[in-house]
Amino acid sequence: MIKKIGKALVVGGGISGIRAALDLAEFGYGVTLIDKASHLGGILAQLDYQFPTNNCGMCKMLPLIDRDSSSQYCLRRGLFHENIDILLSTQLASVEGEPGKFQVTLDQKSNPVDPSLCVGCGKCIQVCPVELPNCFNEGLSTRKAIYLPLPHAIPNSYRIDGNVCTLCGACVEVCPTDAVKLVDEGRKKFSILIVDDELIVRDSLKEWLEIEGGFAVEMAQSGQEALERLKEKKFRLMLLDIKMPGMDGVETLQKAKEILPDLHVVMMTAYATVETAVEAMKIGAMDYLIKPFDPDVLIPKIVKIYEELNVSAGLTLEVGAIVLSPGNSYFNPADGKDTLGYGKNPDVITGLEFERILSAAGPYEGRLVRPSDGRPIKKMAWIQCVGSRDFQTNADFCSNICCMYAIKEAMKAKERAQNAGYELDAAIFYMDMRTFGKSFQRYKDLAERCGVRFTRGRIHSVLPDKESGNLVVRHASYSGKISKDAFDMIVLAAGQRPALCTSDIAEMTGIELNSSGFPSTRPFSMSGTNQNGIVVAGTFAGLKDISESVTQAGAAALLASRVIHASGGGLALESGPAPIYADVSRENPQVMVVICSCNMASGLSEPEKLAENIKADPCVKHVLFTDRICTTSGWENLVEMVKKHHPNRLLIGACLPYLYARNLKALGEEVGINPRLMDVVDIHTPGFSDVDSQDPEYFRSMTETTLKMSIAKLKYADCASSVHAENSVFQQALIVGGGIAGMSAALAIADHGFKVDIVEHEKELGGNLRWLETTIEEHDIPSFLADTIAKVEKHPMIKVHTQSTVIASAGQVGQFFTAIEENEAPAVINLEHGVVILATGGAEAVTTSYGYGKNKKIITQKELAQKVNADELDIRSIKTLVMIQCVDSREEPRNYCSRVCCASSIKSALQFKKENPEIAIYVFYRDMMTYGFMESYFTEARKAGVIFIPYTINKKPVVTNENDSIFITAFEPIISQEIKIEPDMLVLGTGIIPTLPPSLAQTFGIALDQDGFFQEAESKWRPVDSLKEGVFACGLAHSPRNIPEAIATAEAAAQRALRILGHEYIPAGRISSTVRSSLCSLCERCIDTCPYGARTLNEDGKKVLVNSAMCQGCGLCAAVCPNSASVIEGYPMEQMLEMIDAAIL
Amino acid sequence: MNRLQPVRIDHTVSDTLAEIKDKVCACIQCGTCTGSCPNAFAMDITPRHLWRMLLMGQKDEIFTSRTFVLCSSCYYCTLRCPRGLPLTEAMSDLKQIAAKEDMIPHRPSTRFYKCFMDSVRRHGRVREAEFISTYFLSMSATDPLLPLKYASMGIRLLQKRKLALKNPLQKMSERSLDVVFKKVEEMENQI
Repeated sequence: MIKKIGKALVVGGGISGIRAALDLAEFGYGVTLIDKASHLGGILAQLDYQFPTNNCGMCKMLPLIDRDSSSQYCLRRGLFHENIDILLSTQLASVEGEPGKFQVTLDQKSNPVDPSLCVGCGKCIQVCPVELPNCFNEGLSTRKAIYLPLPHAIPNSYRIDGNVCTLCGACVEVCPTDAVKLVDEGRKKFSILIVDDELIVRDSLKEWLEIEGGFAVEMAQSGQEALERLKEKKFRLMLLDIKMPGMDGVETLQKAKEILPDLHVVMMTAYATVETAVEAMKIGAMDYLIKPFDPDVLIPKIVKIYEELNVSAGLTLEVGAIVLSPGNSYFNPADGKDTLGYGKNPDVITGLEFERILSAAGPYEGRLVRPSDGRPIKKMAWIQCVGSRDFQTNADFCSNICCMYAIKEAMKAKERAQNAGYELDAAIFYMDMRTFGKSFQRYKDLAERCGVRFTRGRIHSVLPDKESGNLVVRHASYSGKISKDAFDMIVLAAGQRPALCTSDIAEMTGIELNSSGFPSTRPFSMSGTNQNGIVVAGTFAGLKDISESVTQAGAAALLASRVIHASGGGLALESGPAPIYADVSRENPQVMVVICSCNMASGLSEPEKLAENIKADPCVKHVLFTDRICTTSGWENLVEMVKKHHPNRLLIGACLPYLYARNLKALGEEVGINPRLMDVVDIHTPGFSDVDSQDPEYFRSMTETTLKMSIAKLKYADCASSVHAENSVFQQALIVGGGIAGMSAALAIADHGFKVDIVEHEKELGGNLRWLETTIEEHDIPSFLADTIAKVEKHPMIKVHTQSTVIASAGQVGQFFTAIEENEAPAVINLEHGVVILATGGAEAVTTSYGYGKNKKIITQKELAQKVNADELDIRSIKTLVMIQCVDSREEPRNYCSRVCCASSIKSALQFKKENPEIAIYVFYRDMMTYGFMESYFTEARKAGVIFIPYTINKKPVVTNENDSIFITAFEPIISQEIKIEPDMLVLGTGIIPTLPPSLAQTFGIALDQDGFFQEAESKWRPVDSLKEGVFACGLAHSPRNIPEAIATAEAAAQRALRILGHEYIPAGRISSTVRSSLCSLCERCIDTCPYGARTLNEDGKKVLVNSAMCQGCGLCAAVCPNSASVIEGYPMEQMLEMIDAAIL
Repeated sequence: MNRLQPVRIDHTVSDTLAEIKDKVCACIQCGTCTGSCPNAFAMDITPRHLWRMLLMGQKDEIFTSRTFVLCSSCYYCTLRCPRGLPLTEAMSDLKQIAAKEDMIPHRPSTRFYKCFMDSVRRHGRVREAEFISTYFLSMSATDPLLPLKYASMGIRLLQKRKLALKNPLQKMSERSLDVVFKKVEEMENQI
C-alpha cells in the first residue's frame, strides 16, 4: 500500500465526512475521522430511503479501485479503510498552528462498556430500570440508559448514557463477559467536600455520592472547618451551603478561592436564597443546586461536572489540513409561537420523525400509523417552510432540501399505503416548490401524476378537531377562497439551523460565520474558509442534499489535499512489503473449522454430532469449538489454535462475518495463509431464521448446512498466491473544456504535481465567465477570471491547447490514448493520460417563445448582461422592465431547472433598482428558485419594490407586438385580474443547455442523460463519476450550476481523478473475472453486460480483455456466458455445484 | 371589476400610500394573513389581495373596498406573517387615510369612530344618546335614512335600559378627557 506522509483531520463522520475522508485516504493520505456520536453516518443513519431511487445506496461511495483496502459492506453499518483512523465519541478540543502543520487536540469520551468484551447479548437492556425517549427514533420510541445507539452498526457495542444512568449496577451483575465497568477509577480520585451545617444533608449527600456515584467524599459542618480541610487536602469540588451560622457560604467561597484557586464550587441553596447563589456565581461558583435534593437529579449533575472537568487527557495530533463537516441542526417547531401545535399534538411531527416512522427499524416497524392512537394514516399533509423563509424565526433563508424530501416522503407513504391495500391522500402545502436540482423537476411531476396534491399556500396554524382527533388546517387559495382540510397526521419541514458546535468550532479555528450563524466561505468557493487549510463540507455551511454534500466534500478534500501537498505532505511515498503467503497449491485442502459456541449454547444440543458430520468430509482436518471469537481474547485463542494445527484453509462459524475482514488479513500475514483461503460464515442467523422452530435438531442441521457450503467453497478456492497484474497509470490528466470548471480542475490536479492538458475549442480560455460581470453577492467576476487564466497559463504542469478538439480516444482508466486536432494549423497531437475530465460547459438556451426575435426589445438574460457590461443600456431611461422566468424550462422536453436564472434576474433587478429607483420591474415566475442563502436577495428585491407575479404552465403570460411596442398580458392570480403591461424591455430567462457533444461522450464511452448533460454513475453517491472509471465531468456539462457550484464539481472531479493519478499502478481487486479465450465464441454478451465497462475487445477483435482494476467481481459476465468461458477467478463451477449440493442435500 | 379588459398596472403610488406600501413591500403573497383573518369571510377582498393592490398601485380599488374597515385589530396576521410585516398597523393606516380624506363610502364607519371618541373626550365615557345623535347629525347629508337603520336596535336597547337618556347637548363634564386628548394631539404633532 502506498502511504503518504500527509495527514488530515476530518471532523464529523456523516456522509460528507466519510466522502472527504475516503477521498483523501484513496489518494494515499492518512486521515483521522472523528465524530461526536458513537457511530458514523450522521443523519444518514436515520434515513432509510433517498430519492430519486427511493432506496439507499450509500455503499456506492466505497472505493471501486483498490477496493480490498476498505470494508465492502453496507456503509450505513460501518466503515473501515486502511488509511483512516476512526475515532468515535470524539470531539475537537483545540486547534493551533498553521496550514500544513496544525496541532489539534481531541477529546474522547470514555464508554463504561468495553467494546472488546461486549458480545451484544442484550441482557443489560432487560434489567436496566431507566427508560427514556430514543433519539435514534426521534423520541417516537423509548430506550434504556444502556443502549445501542445505532441498531445496525458494525461492530456494535452497547453504551451507557452517563447523564441518566443511576449507577444501580444491574447491568454489571447481568453482563456475562464483565464488559460493563460502571464506576471508573477516576471517580475515586475525585475528592468532593460537602459543607453544610445540617447533619442530615451532609450524610445523605455523602451516601449518594459515595455509594451511588463512586466519588471520594468528605464533610465539614461549618465554613471555618471547610477552610481548614482545604488547607490540608487538595479537593476538586466543594458543595457549599449558603446559609450557615458563623461564616456563611459566600464568605467561605471567597476565602476558599484564596486557598485553592482551582477549586470548583457548587452552591447549595434553598429556593429563597437563589439570588444569593446567583451572586455567588459572579465571584467564582460554577453552579448552584436547589434544596431539597433529588438524588436522581443531583447525581447525574455531579457526574456531568466530573466528566466536564475530567475529560480524557486529550489526544494530540499533527495534521496538515482540517475538513469540518459536523453537520447542522434543525429548527424546533415547538420554539416560539408554535401555532402548528408541534410538541402539543403528537400527530404533528417533523420530517425527520416521519423518516423514522417509514423505517422498518423505526418505532412502528414501518407501518403507517399515527403516534397518538395507532390508527392507520389515511390522509396526510406536509407543511413546508417551518422555520425557513420566516423572519419571525430569524430565518431569511431557504433550507434547500425540504421540498424534495417532502415529495419523497409523500411518494413513499403512498407506496406504503398501497402495499397495505388502500389509497393515501397526500397533500403538500408549499410557497415555492424548489425543484432546482438535476432530475428534481421530473421527480416532482411524477409525484403529481401519482396523485400527490400540491397546494400553494402557507399554513399558519393547525387545530385539533376534538371529536375525531384529526388535525384541521385552514388555508387561502390565490383567489381568496378559504378552505378547511382535516388530516390524520401533519409533517412539518423543519428548517435548518447551524450545528450546535458551530460557534465553538468557529472560535477554535477562527473561521468566519455569516449573519445566520453558518460558516461563510470564500468568494467563488463552496468549501474554502477565511482560514487556509481549514475547509468546510456538507451541511455545516448550510443544508444540502446528498449529491451536493458529496460533491462539496470532494471539493473540500481537494482543498485540504492541496494544503497538505503544498506543505510537503505528498512528496514521500512509502510502500509496505507485500505479505508472503505459503504456496499451498500442491497440497490437499486441509480445512480447520472453528465454531464459535457462545450464541448457540441454547440451540445446539450435541456439538459432537455436528463435529462428526462435518468431519465426514476428508478435507476437514479439525473441528474445534471456542467461545466469543469476536472479542479480543477469543480471537487470540483462535490464533493459537491455527498456529498449533497448521491448516491450509480456515473456516470460522460465528455471527456477523463482516467483522472479521481486518482480522483475517492480519492473521493471514501472521501465519502465512492467504486470506482468500479463509472464510467466516454466519451460523447464527440461519438457525434462528425460523423463529417458531427452536428445535435443536433443526438448529444443528442448519448450522451443518451452512458450514458444509463454506467448506465446499474453501476446497475449490483459488490458492494461487499471486495477485493480479497491476495496471500501470499514465500519471497525467486530460481536461476537455477551458471554462472555469475546466481550469479549476486543471489547477487542482497540476498543483499536486501531475501534468495536465487542457483542450479548448475556442481561442481563449474562460468560457461563460467572459460575459459575466458580477455575482449576486457582488463579487467581481472579470478579475477572478483573469487571475485564474493567469494561474493556468503560468503553471509549469499545465499545457493549454486552444482552438483544438478531441477527435478520437481509446483506452481505459489509467491508460487513455487521445488524439486532438488543432483547428488553426491542422496537426494531430497524441496524448497519453490516465484520466479525463469533461468540462465542456453549457450555453444559454435559444428560444422562439414569447415573440423572441420579433422585436428588439425582447432579449435574453445573456443579452441583457452583455448590454449592461458594454454600457449600451441607459438604465435611467427604462421606465418599465418585465422579466419572464422558466422560458421553455421545467416542462418537456427541457424539463429541468437551470438554477441560475432566478438569481440572475434578481441580481439585474436589484442593480437596476439601485441605479434607477423609479424603474418598475415585473418578474413573472413559476417558483422562485432562490435556494439557500440566496433567499435574502429575493427579500431584498421585494423590498426594493420589484413585483413578482406567479404564473402557471397552463396560463403563461402572452406577449403581443403592436407597432413597435410590446405588451404583456397575464393573469394576476391574487387580484384575479388580467393585467397588461407595456415594458420598454422584456428579458427572457431561457436557462442553460449543455454543450457536451454526444460524439465526444461516445469517444470516451460515457452516457448522456435525456437532456444531454453528463450521466453520473449515481446521482447521489457518485455525482461526478461516470460509469466508466477514469472519466469524470464537472461544471455545466454536468448540470446547470452557478460559479461556486461549478467550481465545487470541478474540484470534486479533480479529487476523484487524483485518486487514480496518485498511484503508479492500480492494484486490482482480490476477486476479478477472466476469460478462457479457447472457449470464448466472441459473442460479446459479457461486454454488453458488464456494468463497470471493464471488458473490451482487443485491437484485432479476436479476444475479450478484462481490466482487472475496473472489474468489481460481480459475476454477471460469468452468468451470461453461454460457454463458461467467462469465469470469476477463485469461483470455479465445481465449487458452485458442490456448494449447492451441500445446501440441498 | 371588469375581468375581460386587462387592467394596465402602474405600481407608483401617491405619497399617502407610499409609506404603507413600504411597510408591506416584502410581502411574498403566501396568504398567511388571509388564512388567519377571522373577518375574512365578511371582506369583499382578502387581506392578501389588498396588499397586492397596494403594491400594484391600485389606490382607487383599495378605497372602494371595505376590507381594511373590517379589520378588528386582532393582530393574528401580524403575529403569523413570515415576513414579520406590521399588517394590522397598515390596516389602521388605511383607516386613518379614509378618515382624514373623509371618503364618502367609508363615512359610516369613520364618522362613527369620530363621534364615539368625541363623546368619550367630553365625558370620559360614551354617552349613548349624545353619541348617536351627533352621529346621525353628521351623517345626515350622506345618509339621511341612517336613523331608521338603527331604529330597531335602539328600541331594543331602550327596552333593556341600556341607553342613558341624558341631555345630548350637555356641556363638557368635569371629568372630561379633553386634557389627555390634547396632550396626545400635541405629542402626535411633535412626531
